[in-house]
Amino acid sequence: MPQTGPVLINDTKSKEESDIPWNVIVLNDPINLMNYVTMVFQRLFGYPRDKAEHLMLEVHQKGRSLVWSGGREQAEHYVHQLHSYQLLSHLEKAE
Amino acid sequence: MKHLCLQPDGDQRLRLSGLDPVILDCLQSLPDILAQRDASGVRHRLFPNPTTTEPESNRDWQRLITPELHHLFAAAGETVTLDLAALAADPEHNNHFQITFAADHLNAWMSALNQTRLILGELFSITEADMNHTDFNLDQPKDLAVFRIHILGYLLQLLIEHAGTA
Repeated sequence: MPQTGPVLINDTKSKEESDIPWNVIVLNDPINLMNYVTMVFQRLFGYPRDKAEHLMLEVHQKGRSLVWSGGREQAEHYVHQLHSYQLLSHLEKAE
Repeated sequence: MKHLCLQPDGDQRLRLSGLDPVILDCLQSLPDILAQRDASGVRHRLFPNPTTTEPESNRDWQRLITPELHHLFAAAGETVTLDLAALAADPEHNNHFQITFAADHLNAWMSALNQTRLILGELFSITEADMNHTDFNLDQPKDLAVFRIHILGYLLQLLIEHAGTA
């Protein structure tokens, strides 16, 4: 499973733009097991089981969940890792 | 599946035993299904874009990140394919099979099983409603795909539980 470090894309973005928080969004899909998603959230973000389960249920019931928010570079790293676990995810600017 | 069991086999290996012929068939189908990870319609699921609004970032991602993910997924599949060569009769249960593999292959197994389920899901356009279906006609390719997704999910569940206790 994922062993790689963060990979920056668009690393020429301005300082002002890089200060904008980014959200990491995980989307529901019909195949991934609920406890697989929970396990990934625990492994990747270090969340305790109850928080990981809460986020997993949000994905399952609402179709998406904001699982992390912060700097762009770290958000890209998390999306990369989520993709390596085969979870549907993307980053988007926080509103 | 009543005999299905995953347990340590010494310090460094795991033994998956009690594999009935149905599960065996699902496991043996893994390499052929994994070989379809580049099929059109599958790639977008296994290698999605990182944004919904930045075409340039998405292009960079597909150029820089996707090959690495592809290598990661292929390596996991190859690990499991090689492990499957060790499938053998289960001495404790008639007409059942077992396999032992290195404990540090656990993540590769989880990845390969999950890839296979997702590939089947895309190839047969499986929906949430399909997944809730319980009446299977295994002569129908789509029903067979859903059935295999469930069987492989059951195996994946065992691995996840083991990973949580390891």
